Amino acid sequence: MEQKNKKPKGRFTSVAVRPTAADHSFNLVVDIFLMVLLVIIAVPLWSTITLSFRPNDYIGNNLQGMFLAPWQWSNAAYKALLGNAGFVLAFGNSVKILIGGVVTALLLTIPLAYVLSIHTLPGRRYLNLLIIIPYVFNVGMIPSYLLVTNLGLIDKLAAVFLPGAISTYNCLIMRSFFEGIPNELKESARIDGATEIQVLMLVILPLSKAIIMTIGLFYGVSFWNDFFHAMLYLNNNQLQPLPILLRNILMASGMNEYVEVSAFGDAPIAAIKAASVFMSAIPMVIAYPFIQKYFTKGTLLGSVKG
Amino acid sequence: MVQKSGTKQLIREIKRHRSVYVLLAVPFVYYIIFKYIPIFNGQIAFKDYMALDGVLGSSWIGFEHFRTFINSYYFVELLRNTLMYSFGKLIFSLPLAIILAIAIYESNRPHLRKIVQTLAYLPHFLSWVIMYGILLALLAPGDGILNDIIKMFGGKPIDFLTNTDAFPWIVILSDAWKEMGWSAIIFIAALMGIDPSLFEAALVEGANSWQRVRYITLPSIRPVILIVVLLRLGTILDAGFNQIFMLYSTPVLSVADIIDTWVYRQGLLEFQFGLATAVGLFKGVIGMFLILGSNRLVKRFGGNPLF
Amino acid sequence: MKRTCTVCIALVALLSLVSLPLFSQGTADQAKASGPTTIELWYGAAITEAGPPPADWVGFQIIKDKLNIDLKLTALPSNESDQDVKVQAAAAANNLPDLFMVRRDVLTRLVPQGLVAPVDDLYEKMPIRTAKHYDEVSRSHARFNGKTYGLADPGSINKNEGLLIRKDWLDKLGLSVPKTTDELLAVMRAFTFNDPDGNGKHDTYGYGAFQEINNYEAWPGRRLEPIFGAFGVDGTWNMTASNAGLNILKPEFFDAMSLLKQMADEGIIDPNWLAYKKDDFRAAWKQGRFGIMREQNAAFAAQANYAPFDKNFPNGEWIIIDPPTGPKGHASIGPYTAGFRIYAISAKAVKEGKKDKIAALLEWMASDEGYYLLGWGVEGVNYTKDANGIPVAANLPNPDLAFSAPGGQTVTQLRNMVFYNGDIELYARYPKYITATSKKEMSALDVLRVMQTKKWTPAVGSDTLPIPNADLKRFYEQGLSEFITGKRSLTRDNWNKWIDEFKSLGGQDWNDKGVAFAKENNLLN
Repeated sequence: MEQKNKKPKGRFTSVAVRPTAADHSFNLVVDIFLMVLLVIIAVPLWSTITLSFRPNDYIGNNLQGMFLAPWQWSNAAYKALLGNAGFVLAFGNSVKILIGGVVTALLLTIPLAYVLSIHTLPGRRYLNLLIIIPYVFNVGMIPSYLLVTNLGLIDKLAAVFLPGAISTYNCLIMRSFFEGIPNELKESARIDGATEIQVLMLVILPLSKAIIMTIGLFYGVSFWNDFFHAMLYLNNNQLQPLPILLRNILMASGMNEYVEVSAFGDAPIAAIKAASVFMSAIPMVIAYPFIQKYFTKGTLLGSVKG
Repeated sequence: MVQKSGTKQLIREIKRHRSVYVLLAVPFVYYIIFKYIPIFNGQIAFKDYMALDGVLGSSWIGFEHFRTFINSYYFVELLRNTLMYSFGKLIFSLPLAIILAIAIYESNRPHLRKIVQTLAYLPHFLSWVIMYGILLALLAPGDGILNDIIKMFGGKPIDFLTNTDAFPWIVILSDAWKEMGWSAIIFIAALMGIDPSLFEAALVEGANSWQRVRYITLPSIRPVILIVVLLRLGTILDAGFNQIFMLYSTPVLSVADIIDTWVYRQGLLEFQFGLATAVGLFKGVIGMFLILGSNRLVKRFGGNPLF
Repeated sequence: MKRTCTVCIALVALLSLVSLPLFSQGTADQAKASGPTTIELWYGAAITEAGPPPADWVGFQIIKDKLNIDLKLTALPSNESDQDVKVQAAAAANNLPDLFMVRRDVLTRLVPQGLVAPVDDLYEKMPIRTAKHYDEVSRSHARFNGKTYGLADPGSINKNEGLLIRKDWLDKLGLSVPKTTDELLAVMRAFTFNDPDGNGKHDTYGYGAFQEINNYEAWPGRRLEPIFGAFGVDGTWNMTASNAGLNILKPEFFDAMSLLKQMADEGIIDPNWLAYKKDDFRAAWKQGRFGIMREQNAAFAAQANYAPFDKNFPNGEWIIIDPPTGPKGHASIGPYTAGFRIYAISAKAVKEGKKDKIAALLEWMASDEGYYLLGWGVEGVNYTKDANGIPVAANLPNPDLAFSAPGGQTVTQLRNMVFYNGDIELYARYPKYITATSKKEMSALDVLRVMQTKKWTPAVGSDTLPIPNADLKRFYEQGLSEFITGKRSLTRDNWNKWIDEFKSLGGQDWNDKGVAFAKENNLLN
């Protein structure tokens, strides 16, 4: 709690120590690594951004396109995308799936991860096994499809997120963070007569904001971009979420018999594809800076096992 | 320990944790319905599945589908390619992600750190369709940037994307490129949990930055690294269908075809769902062995096991 | 570990038992007896990116009032393999919709499962539609064991592609139109090495292509068929009665491969061709990268597609040429079949007594009312008719709702179910226009008509022949491409060895089955 307010002076601490040559070389290596990485990441991103603003009659290749002057940019792709007849509807459906999915997923994952993190729990080993088996044995599409059909979930938005509402991967990652929280805190609460639910609510959760948000983000991104389940389980045209719309756009040129007409007006297909990338990153771009605020050093007291 | 007292203790333990079972109830039911019913339906791996007869009504055919898969013409090659890609990615992408996380954590240039942290994950959202466009611009034999450079120095252009020697590297490196920042998020989150007082102690003892990373930072996030590695081993035969499916072409099939692409062509597109499920189970058995084995190793060396 | 395994298995077994009661097969909700009949239709969208008809589309009400049908629409995914996955998943759960579009390959798998109903008795219930849509070729397209299991509606127009060459490049280099494969090679070399665009850089190539493969145009696929046509081995199958069989087994195939290999080795085919996907290829000719290609009429000549080329090369001109003649006098643009789009009826729908309603719906679609409503929308809102009675997007109160504008495209999503490539459609689809920069008059319809006069190889029905299993298909494609890239060296010996291996892997069997099927169904010419 303290660390939040106290701005560390040095990199980590208030203790002032003269940096050695090794420290300098370390800093140099870190900075060079990050800068090289920045370039490596920025190039494809920039190329995608410029591609999304490319006018229809532009004919240079992707490399030349990266140096297209901003005053020659065209926003036709974004206009076509946002003005698409189905866009508002699809966006709304996606938001519903996102919110419903993240809430459900966290409500299911947090208690499970917590229970699995209790070392003294009898049968813990088998419980862990129980959740790892379905993770390792992926029986594929049809067995799940049969289940969703039989549960009557076809044409329900919940069909998109329910089958993935507990991801074993996310759950076990969360478990390992919960395990990192010093045992003394939990034990002292238990000795004070707290039930496990209270321990979870009062001890664990306040210390785990960052990881819960991170896992929530992972869920959110996967639901937001889930194309496959939406394609399988949603027949009603009015329920189609954004990934279906985007996929239809992305694949459009591959399928159209009537290549002469396009719903895009004067936006080139490649630009639309590029612009649609940024649609899929929306929740991340909005949420991540917010979460980063919780990524302050020392906030997750003790992933460190003492 | 005597059996009787063991049972007693168990009962006591269960009583002590009874509120746990309240927390466990809903996720448990969820697992039964959404994870175990599909596994039950997975019996079609041993059946000649007929849609009209349903899962229970279809006739048993034993290990026929498994035999079809294992005896298929390209089986050995598929297995080799799959393992090559998944281990390749594990060996390249994962350490890179960890290094990136540590670099972001350790950098004392706040602006650089912030920019990298905000941008690094974005390539994750570039679909492979888009990535292919970028790779083509870089690597195309006719006018790719890299080949333009090679030609400038008088070399012969290389058909990176359709060359069996180059293709595996393209797959592994492009995966690292795209996913490194995304995978790093979880390690950054773990790093944020390190107790700063540990560093102070290290400083006082005169440790330099390299030593600090080696003796404090890395060990601190070891539990998370282990979990990630163990979980990746469990799905070791998933080598990244979407990526391969987008990048491969006929000339490189011998090094590009993986189990999942084979299943896609053979199983899904030809209504052989029993076969597809059987391959899923096959992959699961291998994954389970790896997980159990490595979990043992972890335990032996005093790590934090998966179970 | 042993104990762990035992417990694992016990757990799985236990949980499976627990879950047993929760699991039951088949939840087909029975249609209510009274009120309108619900018909679920999974259609292939005409313009995939434009979104489905809105919930308040007038068509729904008309169909309800006239036919007492409650039409429930589902747009299939835009991508063929996604469509296959969706349809097959629904099939596996015995949950197919009443009426759905399906590819023939998939239909082949559904028929033995008993999931689709024969439609032979439907034709006489829909006289108008049958006259326009279903001839004998169409009926036999989806025929299995003597019964037709799907309504094969006219799809793409046949022979709608042509071999195109840059006339301006020929003129600049003082060359004439190549007539033989040797002349073609010479032109390709000149296009590659003699700087036809005069920019002083070596950035042009002779031939442009990408791998576009399907059942009847196996590797290297459609874009290179004119090369293989010069040796009489275009297409997967030879469909002549005298020489029926897989083309790959014919001796001439080796010669065609040698020519392609020569093109690749000399660098006169765009070296990117193996890496290109469709969009890259189409972008490449607009960038002036190559001077000879096989392209589709609308992809080449329709306004939006030609515009970038026109702007960048106002003096550029593509002309449609005859396919080059090979050493033995063969020449062909490629094989042609009749393109169909199959709509199948699920066995479930027939069981629920919906067959007549489906027939009524389809017949209504073929009536004038349905034809114009589904094809162009509402007259005066989405289209007007010109003097010749052809729907045009002019003189509309709100041009944004025109059938060709984004606002109006949603109401014509079902047009593939009513179109049969009639003249009205073609005129409406391919209007004449003046190009923006060079002020040329262009029409994709004129282009189409010229393309259709060129020499093609009749191969109707070759797309219905048996398909190889996935491993054999891979062996075929991988092997051929490795001969071209040089991973295998293309000598007679090597080739024969490879062919032998292909045969023993099931290639011979595939060949024999195909020939037998073709004979049985009278597909040979």
